[in-house]
Amino acid sequence: MIMPEKTKPDYVIETKNIKKCYGDGCKVTALNDINIHVERGSFVSIMGPSGSGKTTLLDVLGCLLKPTSGDVYLDGKKVIGLDDNELAVIRKEKIGFVFQQYNLIQSYTAIENVELPLRIKGKSKWEAEDKAKRLLETVGLGDRLNHKPSQLSGGEQQRVAIARALANDPKIILGDEPTGNLDTKTGQKILNLLKELNQKEGYTLVVVTHDPRVAEYSDKIINLLDGEVLNETYPNDSRELEAKRGRK
Amino acid sequence: MWDLALKNIMRNRIRTILTTLGILIGIGAVVALGSIAEGLNATIQSSLELTAGKITVQQAGAGIFGMGSELTNDDVELLKSVSGVKDVVPIVVFLGPMQGFSGPEYVVVGIDPDKMNYFAGENFKLYQGRNIDEGESGVASVGKAAADKFNIQIGDSWTVKNEDFEVVGILDTTGISDIDSSILVPLQDLQAALNRDTYYSIYAIPDDVKDTEKVVVAINDASDNLQALSSAELARQASQIVDQIRFFTFGIGAIAAFVGGLGVMNTMIMAVMERRKEIGVMKAIGATNSMILKQILMESAMISLIGGTGGILIGVGAAIGLGALSGGSIQGYVTPTLALEGLAFALFLGVIGGLYPARQAAKLDPVEALRYE
Repeated sequence: MIMPEKTKPDYVIETKNIKKCYGDGCKVTALNDINIHVERGSFVSIMGPSGSGKTTLLDVLGCLLKPTSGDVYLDGKKVIGLDDNELAVIRKEKIGFVFQQYNLIQSYTAIENVELPLRIKGKSKWEAEDKAKRLLETVGLGDRLNHKPSQLSGGEQQRVAIARALANDPKIILGDEPTGNLDTKTGQKILNLLKELNQKEGYTLVVVTHDPRVAEYSDKIINLLDGEVLNETYPNDSRELEAKRGRK
Repeated sequence: MWDLALKNIMRNRIRTILTTLGILIGIGAVVALGSIAEGLNATIQSSLELTAGKITVQQAGAGIFGMGSELTNDDVELLKSVSGVKDVVPIVVFLGPMQGFSGPEYVVVGIDPDKMNYFAGENFKLYQGRNIDEGESGVASVGKAAADKFNIQIGDSWTVKNEDFEVVGILDTTGISDIDSSILVPLQDLQAALNRDTYYSIYAIPDDVKDTEKVVVAINDASDNLQALSSAELARQASQIVDQIRFFTFGIGAIAAFVGGLGVMNTMIMAVMERRKEIGVMKAIGATNSMILKQILMESAMISLIGGTGGILIGVGAAIGLGALSGGSIQGYVTPTLALEGLAFALFLGVIGGLYPARQAAKLDPVEALRYE
């Protein structure tokens, strides 16, 4: 039997010396020597000024972008060297995305949007509908199932997007400025929902953000600058987190 | 995922309907024109049954059905002398007034009464009345279809060029349209009426059907003026003509359908461009390249199959309409094969038209597609 390559079991994400550059002879470096890890069940923010490589890093972690060199382990599985199809399968099985622009399909209703990952997974219409309904109820949109995105507020659209991200029971939820398009109050609600998913349901969250409030909610903040990790901080360096680390 | 495909193509209803119409018209043309070729084929095949087991002799260089042949008694005598020929049946044909597409209104065939069985088949039966006796004059037998068409009763008279013929018998339906819709009169009578002593064509009956081809060769060797064709050869020539017509009609239809296919391609290219971001999302949530390819192909196939199905219905309608317009002589004949071919062609166009945009969609880089504005 071939043993799967294992990293430390409580790291759901681990990167080793990731480098991503573009152009002939690697003229433009987007990411340089990134070594980070994300503990299972934690809430991690990636921060940094524009152009610091936050989104590129998120794309790499989300298996949307192949790094130029380095290793990435997701849920204990090495994802470097996989082809497009294999990466798609990883995304399908392990990752849920939440975007700043929500990225819902405008001509589909809320429930159809949430069904989509399940249909891609090969579930029947009936099965997908059932689960999508439950998820929309979970995010507080049980009464908006058949509304189209244009009939929903920004906050509601982002809730649909979160329900969609949850549909495939992901190991990791990746957020690209999930509150970036929302007013303060609505942003707060979305943040509360994400935090709830993290704390109550145990989802691992990695969020790229400019929003200091998001950072406040995080267990760890990875600060990037010019494609490199500047530092990592622990805003809620609480006893709980200490205790978690202590258990290792 | 067919439900999603339907949902996706219905986003831009007008565009989809127009694209579907393009395919519908194209496939409609393929089916309607194809049905005419099939109908023509059926008519010709039925005419050819008439010549089964016989050798058709015409003047050399005459057309396939002996139009314009002027065969003489010398030719008849010559044919009688060719070895392997059992009997010789000269005939004269008079065509009634032409009716547009539907050909002549009626056909009068002059034939020796005792040789009727060669013309109407060994087992021809009377529906009413009696056969024309040998040597009898001024009488006629009428095919069932002609009798029905002109409401002819026994004892009625039929006039050809001022010569009256008394109808003494009505033939039972043979299924061979050239006989069913003919009026048969004694050979010499028709020659007299038409004031000609030549024949339109001559059938040579071989001693043994198995030797038909040998006898054909013998006749062709015996005279430079005569051209003998076996029924197999006639069938071959006829099917060549039908094939040419088929090819021609299919060509016209195919051009129309091909333009419809371009419409599908255009529509799908636009759709893929509009849905770039969405395709990025689908990839982000786990759709593989081949899934995206399939999804787009499904959509173009759906458009073309809906159009194709509509086109077959329109084609059938057009075939029936043409048949009615032509008074039944052009029978549109939509065979199941033709319908299936129409549908397969539609699907082919859809897949070919969808392939390029589908590949473009599948190849989209998810990172770029996601952030495309």
